[in-house]
Amino acid sequence: MFTTGSKLLLGATALSVIGTIVYGIAVGGATGTLGLVAVSIAFAFLAGINLWVRDSNVSAMDTAGIETCAAANEPTETSMWPVVAGLGLALVPVGLVAGFAIAWMAVIVLLVVTVEWMVLSWSDRASGDPAYNASIRKRIMHPMELPILGAVGLGVVIFSFSRIMLYKPGNAGMVIFSGVASAVLLFGALIAAKRNVGKALVSSLCSVGAVALLGAGVATALDGGHEIKKHEVIGDDNTCGEEITEADHDPTRAIAAKANLAATIILENGQLRAEIIGIAGNPSAVSLLRSNDNFVKFKNLDDGDFRLTAYLGDEKLNAGTDTEVVVEQIVCTQAVTEGGTQFVVIKPPLPSFAAAEDAPFQFTVPGVETAVLSIEVP
Amino acid sequence: MGRSADHMTSVGSVPDKPRPDQLRTDQSGDSMTSSSRSLRKRMALPAIAIGAIAFLSACADDAPQDTFQPAGENARKIDNLQRPPFYIAGIVLVIVSVAVLYCVIKFKDRGQALPKQTHGKPVLEIALTILPALILIGIGIPTVSTVFQLAKTSDTECIINVTGQQWWWEYDYPVQDGCGGVTEPIVTSGQMVFPADEKVLLRITSRDVIHSFWIPKLNGKKDAVPGRVHTLRMEADQPGIYAGQCTEFCGLSHAYMRMEAVALDDAGFETWKANELEAYTSPTDEAALTGESTFLANCSRCHQVNGVEDANGDPVISRPDLYVYSGAAPNLTNLMMRNTFAGAAYDLITQECRDRIWSLPPDEFTAAYLEGVTPECLDAVQLREWLRNSPAKKPMYTETDKLGPTDEKTRGMPNLNLSEDQIDEIIAYLSERK
Repeated sequence: MFTTGSKLLLGATALSVIGTIVYGIAVGGATGTLGLVAVSIAFAFLAGINLWVRDSNVSAMDTAGIETCAAANEPTETSMWPVVAGLGLALVPVGLVAGFAIAWMAVIVLLVVTVEWMVLSWSDRASGDPAYNASIRKRIMHPMELPILGAVGLGVVIFSFSRIMLYKPGNAGMVIFSGVASAVLLFGALIAAKRNVGKALVSSLCSVGAVALLGAGVATALDGGHEIKKHEVIGDDNTCGEEITEADHDPTRAIAAKANLAATIILENGQLRAEIIGIAGNPSAVSLLRSNDNFVKFKNLDDGDFRLTAYLGDEKLNAGTDTEVVVEQIVCTQAVTEGGTQFVVIKPPLPSFAAAEDAPFQFTVPGVETAVLSIEVP
Repeated sequence: MGRSADHMTSVGSVPDKPRPDQLRTDQSGDSMTSSSRSLRKRMALPAIAIGAIAFLSACADDAPQDTFQPAGENARKIDNLQRPPFYIAGIVLVIVSVAVLYCVIKFKDRGQALPKQTHGKPVLEIALTILPALILIGIGIPTVSTVFQLAKTSDTECIINVTGQQWWWEYDYPVQDGCGGVTEPIVTSGQMVFPADEKVLLRITSRDVIHSFWIPKLNGKKDAVPGRVHTLRMEADQPGIYAGQCTEFCGLSHAYMRMEAVALDDAGFETWKANELEAYTSPTDEAALTGESTFLANCSRCHQVNGVEDANGDPVISRPDLYVYSGAAPNLTNLMMRNTFAGAAYDLITQECRDRIWSLPPDEFTAAYLEGVTPECLDAVQLREWLRNSPAKKPMYTETDKLGPTDEKTRGMPNLNLSEDQIDEIIAYLSERK
């Protein structure tokens, strides 16, 4: 009664309906349920069409037809799609329980199986020539399969790499892949040297390597990589006063590879000293450009949490009016622990000769009275 | 070359096969060939004349930015590096040109048969690969060595911060032991003064876009990049003025962004420093005194004159950061100690005085330069035109209805719509700034 080709579609229709019911009851959600309903309708429509046209139908009494009809012949090659379909079917209920990612993966697998298996079945029965059948299958499917498989394969490789690299902090990833790269190089050299290495051996080794990479990637991904702390370059706590409410305990990673600094100000033994590009030794004053972003790095070599503060004079706002206000121009870094570094961007609005005699422009470290360094703004 | 020469000889004397065009008997082909020949002959003379003019015009008598006349150690290193390859390349050019001309003339198409074709000359090909490689290696080794020598800055004795902004250069001398000792920062623009025969470290940066600092007679180029400090070592053998200009396109007035490096002898440089740090004195001349008020009212919001005070006795601090996109304007404290203004694009002195200063021998230069701009040498015309309408003299981005993209700040000096009286007063005041 049911033609060969339509049996699959009927099964898919039934499964879609079951899935719709299960999803609708277990999970709910209009979008998912509607999607599965649409799938069920689509499969039912295809099944109905196939039944109506009696596609791939050979009469059971037509023994000659059974023997000669291409559709009744054995398929030219074994097919993995039934196994994959079973896997997909098994993953559907698992995904509905464990998580939507697995459920969506199962749906994608089933869609792929549907398309591939249908095309394979169609091409196997297109003619009596197996080679021709294979070629037309490839002609139809390769323009889709190869780019998708390539992208997916590349993505899996990249993802696996990244998970392994992120598994352990520090240089573990570098060490691992240095070893792996050396092994690949050795392997390649051996193959190049021994010309009569069997294709099967090479394929097996490559497969082992790929599985190992995938397995390691999945394992490390499930383990969930090491924590990457995010640090602000400039810092959140810039109240600039003596009270330290928060110190950056691991600020070094936040410092980008700034090629050129106006100055590096170092707190050591209660004293501030400056290191400036092109100037030997430690100058007694730091020259900063007026109206320019000057990148200054503060490095704390003393025990304790300290910040660097830059006093750049007092600016009068609304000068000469009743609302004249004097605003202290101070910028500072966030407090850093011993060994830490932080940036501060200093843009002096005034020249240093505008400073009062008793309040020159200078770097200071709140809480360390001896840590003072002059700032000159021409 | 012997084998290939034999091959070439065989071309003219042993015709192997008729050429396709020899089978044509169209007479019009002959008349077309002769008319094209006469056209080429007619064009040859003008072409030769134009080429000769272009070639000879390169031989300038007065070339202040001539990189082939090094006046400092680093420029000399660069010159010593470029000359040998230049000569070698010239010789190669002559050989190749002669060979090409010989072939073009000797084996010109006169209707002879095509020569026998050969394919490949391995010995020649290998030789012509190895020879250029050897030449490149020969050039590469001293080049790398020179690069490292030029990058050395640990032996410098004087530090000058050089800052580029649209469209002028600022020079400031930070507090240091070098430069004979600088106890207070000095800032100037347009002309960078430094001691002759002393290695100077320039720390170059920019306030806005990328510029490039280049004094051809003293050193190579170095980019001024915002957010970065690039070091450049420079030295002048003798006192004198050395011209340069910005060599990285930086906007409307890139061509007007000039610079001059002024090398003084040690004593002269000390005098210059002392002069720069002298306390400000208010003018006594009535016109200049009026000019001071006019300057304070119109110019001081951007241009700083160190030490000038307002009516209340408070120091006047300019705030170019509020009006100019780059955040700075030239410091005019000792304007008349310089010979140029407007980013060294225009002279403060007359052409006669300029020619005199520029041509002075080194031992007379320092004293003449330290005189500054005398009343006899002042070219008030240029300064007046500038004050009258500066964007007309030097293209700048100052139109008030187009300043949205720059937060209502100008790039460059706007037209202040000064009256002629105001201009006179300001010039009278600025004339005393030295």
